[in-house]
Amino acid sequence: MPVDDKLRVGVYICSCGANIGSVIDPAAVAEYASHLPDVVLARDYMYMCGDPGQNLIRKDIRQYKLNRVVVAACSVRMHEPTFRACVADAGLNPFLMEMANIREQDTWVHSKDPEGALLKAKELVAAAVAKVRHVFPLTTITVAVTKKAMVIGGGVAGISAALDLADMGIPTYLVEKELSIGGTMAQLNKTFPTMDCSI
Amino acid sequence: MVDAARQPLIDVMAYSDVERVDGYIGNFRAQVRRNPRYVLADRCNGCGACSRVCPIEVPNSFELDIAPRKAIDVPHGQAVPLIYQIDIDNCIKCYQCVTACGHLDAIDFSQKAEVVDLDIGAIVVATGFDSFDATKIPEFGYSRYPNVITAMEMERLANSAGPTIGHLVRPSDGKFPHSLAIIQCVGSRDKRFNEYCSGFCCMYSIKNALYLKQAHPEMDICIFYMDIRTPAKGYEEFYNRARQMGIRFIQGRPSQVTEDPVTHNLFVEVEDQALGQVIEMEAEMVCLAAAAIPRGDSEQVASMLTLSRSPSGFYMEYHPKLRPVDSPTDGIFLAGAIQGPKDIPASVAQGSAAASRAARVLSKDTWEIEPIVARVDAERCISAQGKKCGICARACPYGAITVEQGYAAVVTPAKCHGCGGCVAECPQDAIRQDHFTDAQVVAQLAVLLKDSPQEKILAFMCHWCSYGGADNAGTSHFEYPASSRGVRVMCSARMDQDFILDAFRRGAGMVLVSGCHPQDCHYITGQQVAARRFERIPRTLERMGINPERFRVEWISAAEGDKYARVITEMDAKLKSMDRGQIIAETARALPEINNRLKRWRSVPYMADLLTEPELEAVR
Repeated sequence: MPVDDKLRVGVYICSCGANIGSVIDPAAVAEYASHLPDVVLARDYMYMCGDPGQNLIRKDIRQYKLNRVVVAACSVRMHEPTFRACVADAGLNPFLMEMANIREQDTWVHSKDPEGALLKAKELVAAAVAKVRHVFPLTTITVAVTKKAMVIGGGVAGISAALDLADMGIPTYLVEKELSIGGTMAQLNKTFPTMDCSI
Repeated sequence: MVDAARQPLIDVMAYSDVERVDGYIGNFRAQVRRNPRYVLADRCNGCGACSRVCPIEVPNSFELDIAPRKAIDVPHGQAVPLIYQIDIDNCIKCYQCVTACGHLDAIDFSQKAEVVDLDIGAIVVATGFDSFDATKIPEFGYSRYPNVITAMEMERLANSAGPTIGHLVRPSDGKFPHSLAIIQCVGSRDKRFNEYCSGFCCMYSIKNALYLKQAHPEMDICIFYMDIRTPAKGYEEFYNRARQMGIRFIQGRPSQVTEDPVTHNLFVEVEDQALGQVIEMEAEMVCLAAAAIPRGDSEQVASMLTLSRSPSGFYMEYHPKLRPVDSPTDGIFLAGAIQGPKDIPASVAQGSAAASRAARVLSKDTWEIEPIVARVDAERCISAQGKKCGICARACPYGAITVEQGYAAVVTPAKCHGCGGCVAECPQDAIRQDHFTDAQVVAQLAVLLKDSPQEKILAFMCHWCSYGGADNAGTSHFEYPASSRGVRVMCSARMDQDFILDAFRRGAGMVLVSGCHPQDCHYITGQQVAARRFERIPRTLERMGINPERFRVEWISAAEGDKYARVITEMDAKLKSMDRGQIIAETARALPEINNRLKRWRSVPYMADLLTEPELEAVR
């Protein structure tokens, strides 16, 4: 399952401007990563998420026949979709990319302990490399979409959502607990800043 | 309102409750209960003849119970839909309404609630807010003194469609109040109740003051405020207009309101920040700007839709900056004050934003779902060998697994949300979660605990909450010691007991398992499955000779960066207070039993290599 004949891992350490680079030396992390098992190249770069950073990964995947990628940068909650799309552009299954969070969970919280932060960054990168050596391609599951919407709550926000959805041609159920739609807005006298009535 | 009723593609289902929601993005099924009005919607023409003859008056919640309605009535004249309703608990069944309705024959006392199933692809949650209960601040005298009212009551009393046809009167004597004191931040920016700023109260109080001043230039109106907050477009100019018109603004939070029992006039006591002294103002009426708070049913709705709530109780967005109208559950979007206090322009904008995010799904024929689902290894499943099991099916919050004795368990991938609870619970290690397999997790442990494991805290984090909490610590720059090493899985339910034992086997100084608070769990009951499992662990560790204080369980929300930092800081201090030799000795003592317990793991794909790490020799 995981192991292709020969694993070729590329590791990319992001400096994130000064966010990472002012606390630890990304080049030192890259140097460390270059000696990890199956790693064929490790680089550091100012902004991995920018177009030039992503292009670097795409180019390397083609040129060095990388079949696994590790990006050490920010949180997966931030840029995992970015880098998954990036490797997919270069023909790699998006699930063969792993991230190591060396910003939110490292340099941003250990700025007063750069040595500790550097050690942690190296080990988080090593862990991501260890995981990526065990991952395998996955195929996205495709489901059919029922082209109808339900809006719960018929106040001003719900009415506005329902009207926009319906105007886009989407049949919409507007479910309201009370006897009438209108919500709090319908109870109001004049409204600011125009001083017109609410209904 | 009327536009919504007129738009042919909108089905307005008023007086209805969403009782249950199942499914997933693109394929939700909602069970909606239409409550009986005892008036047939297709026959009622809204003429009101029934209401005119009805002899019974009941409180009208739309008018905040200031004015009554009839037992058969509409909440207000502009109701949408304009269909009458019988308050069946208070109806005396005199049937005069039936006579008045005549040939329309719209009244039907036998009407029953109707439950309908709706198939939908996306959901927008716009359930709004409640007002803070001002009786919780007894020093302001609300409900004790008749002339202390809330801002919402003011809206009705000043409203030409309201119970007094727009004539503002004092509840005590029905007379016009010549002076009005408005108190801001009632229940908000008050650490006893809610720390947050309710946002739009400054503007509505200024609006009420301005409206009354325009109608009654002689009226003395004074607003007591902590800070005036008017950041949106045109708002500061609006505030300046109020000042120019002679509305007085006094900075200071009133300490109490007292009443003259004869005149029912009120005395507001406040320390005027500008004067630096305590002053007292007599007012014929006091209006409290009660804070917007999360709706009373927000917890119940959150658990029905697997949404998370912020510490304030408002619903949490997927990302506060980048995905502000997406909920953490794919296909469910947030609009309006349920996400946080909001005025009308912001609510309208967010409603449109949520519609657009929902349309992003609904405009497609198909939607792609992450394939990080559970898969059964039929050869390892003991059900296939004719034994009775079904543990995986019981652990699944989504009913995605079916187990029939004699056959291997079956996972329906489209129903599986990928929490991994079944994987960790399976006693045979017969289920794997793609992208979070045992080998993929243990490979990380092996590396993170390779060097000086005794000095490290191995922190298991769930993707949605505690990993988010650790991110939040980062974005807030809360410093904590660099001794922790995080391993992310999707849910605390995926945190296999074997992972924890393996971490201790490798000599980890401390192990943290962290996940969502029970009400925030992204996988309905995943956290509960995990919590039950972790309860047993301290005793297991103790029996093996490992100090259970080296193991900690914490529930940390994505908003609790401070808590994440504090937990790691405390664990680091504890670890540093422990003797390193003792930790190594404990590891050596527990090793044979842990190895024995993990023996079965060796036959799981790719695990054997990971379990015979040469580095372990040093510990032995």
